[in-house]
Amino acid sequence: MAPTKGSSKGGPSKGASDGGSKGSKTSTVSGGSRVSKSKSNVKRPPPKEMKKKARTEQANLQKKKKRVYTDAELDLPKLNAITPVGVVKPKGKKKGKVFVDDQEGMMTILAMVNAEKEGQIESKMMKARQLEEIREAKRKEAEARLTEKKDKLEAVKADIRQKKREKSGKGNSDDRKSAPSSGKSSAKGKRKSVSFA
Amino acid sequence: MRALDETETRTMFTKLASYTGASLSNLIAPPAEGTAVTERMVFRLVKDRVFYLPERIANFATSIPRDSLLTAGTMIGKFTKTGKFRLNMSSLSIIAPHARVKCWVKSNGEMPILYGSNVLKAHVARWSEDAPEHSGCVIFNQNDTPLGFGVTARSTAEMRKLEPTAVVVFAQADVGMYLRDEDTMFTT
Repeated sequence: MAPTKGSSKGGPSKGASDGGSKGSKTSTVSGGSRVSKSKSNVKRPPPKEMKKKARTEQANLQKKKKRVYTDAELDLPKLNAITPVGVVKPKGKKKGKVFVDDQEGMMTILAMVNAEKEGQIESKMMKARQLEEIREAKRKEAEARLTEKKDKLEAVKADIRQKKREKSGKGNSDDRKSAPSSGKSSAKGKRKSVSFA
Repeated sequence: MRALDETETRTMFTKLASYTGASLSNLIAPPAEGTAVTERMVFRLVKDRVFYLPERIANFATSIPRDSLLTAGTMIGKFTKTGKFRLNMSSLSIIAPHARVKCWVKSNGEMPILYGSNVLKAHVARWSEDAPEHSGCVIFNQNDTPLGFGVTARSTAEMRKLEPTAVVVFAQADVGMYLRDEDTMFTT
């Protein structure tokens, strides 16, 4: 307290400036009495003070305008809080449950559910039928392939049998043919044959 | 005890509709003269359990404290904590008359079902035509008495080609539960 008192008393120029900044009429009046002493030096501060006041007023106004917007109004996400998707409720909606106890409301819900279910079952059946058709087609194809394979095998078997028969037939015929034609050789053979008593 | 809200009603009807056909609307049909429906039937929720009862009894039940109220009407099922709906055994009497897919079992297949096992092809006497797989199915014996319900394992077309030991219906509930789960069935 003591130094302030001293400064106010000691420095007249400082005292004048402080009084002006406070904006009290009494101080200005007192300052005016002091100004009359040295006009040339003190004339400048008052306009400066006015400017300062105007600036501060504008700044104050701007600050107030900014303060109007709160966090809640800006829809900023809250920190360190997880809100699951299902839990978030739309704004402006009435709180509490809406009971369905009237006949018409229940009937509408039931009709909607039934229609939905019918559609689901229908699509399920369609899908099952299509799959069944595909399976049937595959099965038929596999059967056809199997029969074809069997036929091929049978044909090969028949061919082999035919060849065998032909071979055996030829062999018989050769024997028959050769028997009468080679009479001499057989005679020769008979001669050569050895018989035991 | 309170009425169901919109999502709950939708969830419950979706579940019921997978077992029943369009005739399910008879459950909530308004009372009319000359029909079997004499009074308005409603669904009521107690904690997580849904009951189907006449409105008159539902109104009486409001006079009983919630903790003291054990049951009222027919229990249909309960809501799980994830919001799904599970049908209870006692709903069989409600869904059986309106069943969409039916399966009749031979007398030799009755006991295995009543002990909680699945339905085998060898036990099936008759089967609904055009039944898709994984759809709700009500199991009857040959006297048309409902024994339980479950989910079809195969479609009708596929079932014909199966071997006799193959499972055709996955059992979900059967009347044997009244004895097997006697202690826990209606505990809250």
